[in-house]
Amino acid sequence: MRERKVNKMIPIEFFLAFAAILFAIGAYGVITKTNTIIVLMCIELMLNAANINFIAFSGFLGDAMGQVFVIMTISVAAAEVAVGIAILLNAYKIKKTTETDSLTCMRW
Amino acid sequence: MFIEYTWLVPLIPALCFVLVGFFGNKMGKTGGGYLAIAGVAVSCLLSVLISYEFFTSAAYASPGYYTESMTWFTFPGGFEITIGFYVDTLACLMMMFASFISMLIFVYSLGYMGEEGKRKRRYFAEVALFVTGMLGLAISSSFIEMFIFWEIMGLCSYLLIGFWSFNHPEGDDKADNAASAAKKAFLVTRLGDVSLMGGLFVMLYAFGSLDYTVVFDAANIASVDHNLIIIACLLIFGGVIGKSAQFPLLDWLPDAMAGPTTVSALIHAATMVKAGVYLVARCFPIFCEASSVMLLVAVIGGVTMFFAATMAMNNMNIKKVLAYSTLSQLGYMFLALGAGGYMIAIGIETGDTALIAAGSLGYTAGCLHMVNHAFFKALLFLCSGSVIHSTGTEDMREMGGLGPKMKVTSITMLIGSLSIAGFPFFAGFFSKDLIIEQALHAADYGTAGWIFIVLWALAIITAFMTAFYMFRMWYMTFRGPEGPKTQHCHGESPKSMTVPLMVLSIFAFGFGFVLLFGFDGLLSINVDLATGQFFVGGGHAEGLEYLVEFFTNPWTYLTIVLVIAAIIIAKFMYDKRKINPGKFNKNGTSWLYRALASRWWFPELYNQVSWKLGYGVARGVDYVDRNIVDGAVNGLSNAVVGSGDILSKAQTGNVRNYAAVVLGGIVVLFVVILALFYFMGGL
Repeated sequence: MRERKVNKMIPIEFFLAFAAILFAIGAYGVITKTNTIIVLMCIELMLNAANINFIAFSGFLGDAMGQVFVIMTISVAAAEVAVGIAILLNAYKIKKTTETDSLTCMRW
Repeated sequence: MFIEYTWLVPLIPALCFVLVGFFGNKMGKTGGGYLAIAGVAVSCLLSVLISYEFFTSAAYASPGYYTESMTWFTFPGGFEITIGFYVDTLACLMMMFASFISMLIFVYSLGYMGEEGKRKRRYFAEVALFVTGMLGLAISSSFIEMFIFWEIMGLCSYLLIGFWSFNHPEGDDKADNAASAAKKAFLVTRLGDVSLMGGLFVMLYAFGSLDYTVVFDAANIASVDHNLIIIACLLIFGGVIGKSAQFPLLDWLPDAMAGPTTVSALIHAATMVKAGVYLVARCFPIFCEASSVMLLVAVIGGVTMFFAATMAMNNMNIKKVLAYSTLSQLGYMFLALGAGGYMIAIGIETGDTALIAAGSLGYTAGCLHMVNHAFFKALLFLCSGSVIHSTGTEDMREMGGLGPKMKVTSITMLIGSLSIAGFPFFAGFFSKDLIIEQALHAADYGTAGWIFIVLWALAIITAFMTAFYMFRMWYMTFRGPEGPKTQHCHGESPKSMTVPLMVLSIFAFGFGFVLLFGFDGLLSINVDLATGQFFVGGGHAEGLEYLVEFFTNPWTYLTIVLVIAAIIIAKFMYDKRKINPGKFNKNGTSWLYRALASRWWFPELYNQVSWKLGYGVARGVDYVDRNIVDGAVNGLSNAVVGSGDILSKAQTGNVRNYAAVVLGGIVVLFVVILALFYFMGGL
């Protein structure tokens, strides 16, 4: 049953490679971009890359647990973005900028 | 019946100390004074009952003491420290006279310290603790317990000498500053205490115990290395020198006059300096192991006796004269104990029973002089306190002619002066003449006998000087023309001060007569030659025999004549003013006068030693502390702070950098794990 299904499906390597590329793009964006909004979006990319891995392995192993986890991750990510945007808005009110290079007051 | 409760004797004043110390200000105007008096009076009553019970009990005849103790704690090595009490005739004598005299001094303090206000609470609490120390010392059953009470007294003397801290009425030099006098007393006695502690360690090593019953047991003494006992004795005597202010460490006692006069009376009569004499008397069984140790005791005593008396000759401060006379009288006590012990030691070596009995009289003389001195010195100090209270000065040149204005004080002080001078039939006469007789007697024995001839001569000269300076003081204060402060004096002191004076003067006159009623039988020490065990008793005379002995001895007449001559000279110099004392010292410029006025340069010597030696050591220690100890600590902290500063540069605050580091870290970790798997044998 499972083998027949697997044969019909897209091979898992494709999913994993796609997720890896997506993660790399996100990581590149987090490191290079100076606009905090883009950085936040890149973090979302990396999160979603991880979600794709979850889904892929879930389908591959026929275990629904991975999908349950992804739903959870999405909701947490939504909350996280909301918090992130809220911080960003407040930071913008104070500093009149969203450049990461200028928002460096959280240090020693 | 009472003897089982001997531990209450020091405990009651200790309780008074706690109660007065905490609640004294709520106890009315005296600041707890009545409670302190009541406490010490109960102690006094209890000691009398205990002594009566002890002397009538079977324990008095054998083994000569009554002791109870319990284990306090045990060391892993098997040493046991016990705490308990040890009652023998010496302890009975000590607790009776210490508590009795302290009680009188406390009563006197009600008047003398009457204007101290809230500070009375502190005063009465501290003196109660002081008396606790002395009574505890008298009844302690082991050396360690004795040492604890010894140190309590050291602490109290510090606190009480410094009672007025920096505020002291006119003095003749800077050391009169009470705070520095207190510090000096504490540090100088501490030097002796270190020595005493060393002695206790040697004893613990030698005997494996510090209990009196163990240490004074003849079988134990015989089984221990003789040299260890001698070392222990010398070290213990070092402690005695510090506490009783003997020859090299004598200079703290005159400075201690900066405290209230009642405290001086306590220190000189009832507590503190008597502890040293008590310790030597207590340690007789081990001190008598070597005649050389006893010789040292006698020589130190003799030297102190003489030098202290010379310093009293030209002092103008009424309290300082008394302080030097205390040193001098303590010297007499040590001379008596040393001479007696010397004869006992030689008697043990040669097996001469008669010589031991003769030496035993030295012990009796020393202890009798200790008690007599307690009575007349307490009396003299309290009288001087009464004079100071009335005139507001301590300088005798400003007094003079006080006799008619202060009748009770002048008469009681006259009795005290006659007693200390050794005028016939006063208390001091009996003990002092016994001591002089002992010194001469000891000269006949042993190879070092000639030293006792010298000491005997010094003792006779000192007896002359004692009579002279005491009457110089008395005439300068109470006779002659009226001084500037006499005209404004307040007259006689209140009843609370004069009544103790009258009580004490009875004892200062009459206590010597106990010698005629078997005192030496109660308070003498004897040796059983077969076993070497020391025991109490064996006094050799009773009834009028002592009087016969005194007045058939030609040397007694020499002393009496010298004493009377000294009194007459003092009268002509300071009362009639027929002889100008300035004639003998070129009006205070002669070499001898200056030597005496600067106390034979003892304070100078102390300062030089402490500056040159102490300051050098202190500077070395300071250098090590600043540069090596502090250097290590500072270097460590600098290294930590510096590296922290450098590493904190990595914190840019820019999230991109942090993300890059995290990512780089993950990559590195990943590569490392891969490499590990690769080299360990594939995935």
